[in-house]
Amino acid sequence: MTWWGRLFHRRLHEEQLEKELRHHLDLHTSDLISQGYSPEEAQRQARLALGGPEQVKERCRDARGTRWLEELLQDLRFGVRMLLKSPGFTLVVVATLALGIGANTAIFGLVDALLLRPLPVVKAPGELVLLMRGNGQGTTLSYPDFTVLRERNEVLSDLALYTQAPISFGNNVHSEIVLGAMVSANYFDVLGIQPSFGRTFLPEEDRTPGAHPVVVLNHSFWQSRFNSDRTLVGQTIVLNSRRFTVVGIAPPGFDGESAPMKVSLWIPVMMMSAMRWEPTELGTQHDPLSNRQYENFGAIGRLKQGVSLTQAQVALETINRQLEQSDHSPPERRLNPNNDRSLQLISPQGILIGPIREMAVTSSRLAGATVVTVLLIACANVANLLMARGTRRRKEVAVRLAMGATRWRLIRQLLTESVLLALVGATAGVFLSYWINQLLMAFKPPFPPPFTFTLDLSFDIRTFAFTFLLAIVTAVIFGLVPALQTSKPDVLPALKDESNAEGQRVRWLNLRNALVVTQVALSLALLISTGLFLRTLRYARQIDLGFKPDHVLGVSFNLRLQGYNESKGREFYRQIVERLERTPGVQTATVTNLLPLGFMWLSAPVVPEEREVQANERIFAGDVCVGSKYFETIGTPLLRGRDFSAQDTINSPQVAIVSEKLARSLWPEIKEPGEALGKRLRVGRANPIVCEVIGVAKDSRNNIFNRIDREPEPTIYRPFAQNYSALASLLVRTDGDPRDLISDVRREVAALDENLPPQDLQPLSETVSLASWSARTGAVVLGVFGLLGLVLAAIGIYGVMSYSVSRRTREIGLRMALGAETRDVIKLIIKQGMGLTLIGAMLGVMLAVAVTRLLTSLLYGVTATDPVTFAAVVLFVISVAVLACYLPARRATRVDPMTALRCE
Amino acid sequence: MKPKSDLPQGTLDLLILKVVALGPIHGYAVAQRLEQVSRGVVQVPQGSLYPALHRLENRGLLAADWKVTETGREAKFYRVTRKGQAQLEVETAGWQRLTQAVSLILKMSEGGAT
Repeated sequence: MTWWGRLFHRRLHEEQLEKELRHHLDLHTSDLISQGYSPEEAQRQARLALGGPEQVKERCRDARGTRWLEELLQDLRFGVRMLLKSPGFTLVVVATLALGIGANTAIFGLVDALLLRPLPVVKAPGELVLLMRGNGQGTTLSYPDFTVLRERNEVLSDLALYTQAPISFGNNVHSEIVLGAMVSANYFDVLGIQPSFGRTFLPEEDRTPGAHPVVVLNHSFWQSRFNSDRTLVGQTIVLNSRRFTVVGIAPPGFDGESAPMKVSLWIPVMMMSAMRWEPTELGTQHDPLSNRQYENFGAIGRLKQGVSLTQAQVALETINRQLEQSDHSPPERRLNPNNDRSLQLISPQGILIGPIREMAVTSSRLAGATVVTVLLIACANVANLLMARGTRRRKEVAVRLAMGATRWRLIRQLLTESVLLALVGATAGVFLSYWINQLLMAFKPPFPPPFTFTLDLSFDIRTFAFTFLLAIVTAVIFGLVPALQTSKPDVLPALKDESNAEGQRVRWLNLRNALVVTQVALSLALLISTGLFLRTLRYARQIDLGFKPDHVLGVSFNLRLQGYNESKGREFYRQIVERLERTPGVQTATVTNLLPLGFMWLSAPVVPEEREVQANERIFAGDVCVGSKYFETIGTPLLRGRDFSAQDTINSPQVAIVSEKLARSLWPEIKEPGEALGKRLRVGRANPIVCEVIGVAKDSRNNIFNRIDREPEPTIYRPFAQNYSALASLLVRTDGDPRDLISDVRREVAALDENLPPQDLQPLSETVSLASWSARTGAVVLGVFGLLGLVLAAIGIYGVMSYSVSRRTREIGLRMALGAETRDVIKLIIKQGMGLTLIGAMLGVMLAVAVTRLLTSLLYGVTATDPVTFAAVVLFVISVAVLACYLPARRATRVDPMTALRCE
Repeated sequence: MKPKSDLPQGTLDLLILKVVALGPIHGYAVAQRLEQVSRGVVQVPQGSLYPALHRLENRGLLAADWKVTETGREAKFYRVTRKGQAQLEVETAGWQRLTQAVSLILKMSEGGAT
């Protein structure tokens, strides 16, 4: 019989065991009778020889080896019965645990998706490595570097290259900007990806620049834009106004290597120049594929069998160092003047884009710590409830101990009940976590398209395994101490029904009080963190940005993708600004190469013309090229001098407006910003341009990398007319809601070029809101969980106080009989509760001081030990605690002294 | 009555295996056989017999069938499995080596230091 069979045929087994032993006794008895014993004596002798039948049976059961499981089933059955017997208790515990575990499941799902999940769809994702320079700041290799690394290394089976860029996709009906990737032809082979159908790229498509206009489409992109049309393979589509042949469709679920950004299509990197997609700063004559300064590629390789990440790291870093030594170009000539030039290898898991991953790591830590704290508070609550229940079960426990159950067996029984509770709670928690995740996804960073932020939060086996393990651990945390306490073998008093035996010696610092203190401390620390985020948010709203994003609509264009040359581009921007200014409701419209707090930022070295400055002492200033009325439109006051005007053309002398900060940094001797007017400066890297300062603008916090909480960066503004950029944005200031203008803008753009897709068409306030996203999300997440923790802690205090009141009914009755006033009794009870709360609050403040230091990088406008926040939260928590004590205290005063005295 | 010796640790299983190896047999008969064969020298506590039988069955060294005895009653008959047979041989050999060694040592001490 199999092991399971034995388990499930337990009854049959018991019968057989009984029969076997009976058979033995009968035979022995009859043997003894035939030896001359009387039947009674024979039976007695036979029994004696065999030993107690129950003991023998027990030992046989032990010998069978399924005993622990049988007992487990027994415990489970008993546990279910016990829990069903007190549905109120069960419900409260399950709900508490569901909140605690659900929050953890939700955050685990998020962290899993953000940081842990390996690349989907690809073959053996564990062998893949990403090559990055420095501390993981995204794409940081040049194409020549890549070819060297690919050819010289002996640790990778192959290395592929990728880079991403917005691509204009369109026909005459519909046009949009999508995120495309340019990859080496072996890209799909390295990842081990087979196309849904069609093919991926061929080796010859990796050799001649511009020769093979072919494209592989993302599966979901193909579904949504081409209605899953299979005949599309072999046909052409238009990308950046050039025809590309669709050669294949990627498998479903593959969105490229750079989660959470979703790549819609892949083209060979050899088509890069033909896409007219090349870096502004290098100019059109430089081929990005031969330029070592163009470090904007990422590389992904597959480790050879048996090569570890560390070995590969060492081998590739050696090649990298040789490359670095042979490169003599000054660091500032590089597009990414990355100080750390060492090569890092990382496993592609979760989000790979450096800054976003950092953000995700920080918020994951924070959210993780928060939900673990909530769970601990929940555990403390449940432990408290279990202990209170344990005292009610003392008699049952005592009976079982008296009947010969071992203490270990009892603890197991009690723990089984805990595990049962935790599992039911976890099941409810999984459902709850679904809702929590929906809520969290509402707070995903509002990246503008085409940077679709996708996170797959569907539950996978890892999430379930995590939840299950968590439930077990939770059960032990909240169940062990009550189990130990309940199963304490003090049989006699319990059997004698001395229900007040413990009540006579209420120790002040018992376990239960310690739990309340912990709860108060933990929720206080949570709420203080919440408070700090709320203060940060308030500060963010009050902060003087130096510009006024309300009532402004932004829209961006990439005319190069559309094939515009400079004169056609200038004409387009001139006409569109004119048309928009004529649109009803528009106050002013202007053009700029950079959106404030947008995704791009350019900076350039600026030096006073009259002075020679060492290269390392040059001031780098934000380099913004704008049309006239820019300052009016964006709401940055011009302190001195004049705005750019129609007279500033490509043929007139070069002029510039500087921010106050830049003026003071360039000419420290000036006392008043107006003194900068008329001074001359040089701007730019390779061939600096000399400009005359014609105006000084107020400082503006317009650089997103600078974050709105830091000091404004020095900025130089130059006329767009003298510094054309094909990639530029329009800003439109309106009287009313900027959203109302969206359709007008679309119409006016289409009137000029119906194939030109407007990008990032949204109110400027939304672009700005991305900058305070982390504080907002932090405040909401922590706020929700912090309040949850406080509610749980309040329930905990309430529970303990009610319990203590019920244990002291007699004492209270006596006091009242002896003339104590209601007020005195309430004071007595509250004093007891307050003692606990104050200790908890003190510990909580200490904890908060330790913890909030870790939040410093996410806070601004408020220090991590902000006294206002600390004081407010402590007061709040104490008020809640007073309330939680007052209710049981009031009940205590309603006790009828006579009843109380008789209550034994 | 002669004083009876307790079984050395771990030998009960070996003895049971040996007895059962002689042919299918039920529990009471195992007890009787052990007592007869050892001529009353070895005390087999009946209370330990059944747990031992069940343990051996659980380990797959014994198998059991319910059969009708001569007296017309159903009884559980144990028999040795192939695995049990192998185990018996291994343990018998081991036991013999051990007893030889032990008796050698005992003889040596009887004869003094030679």
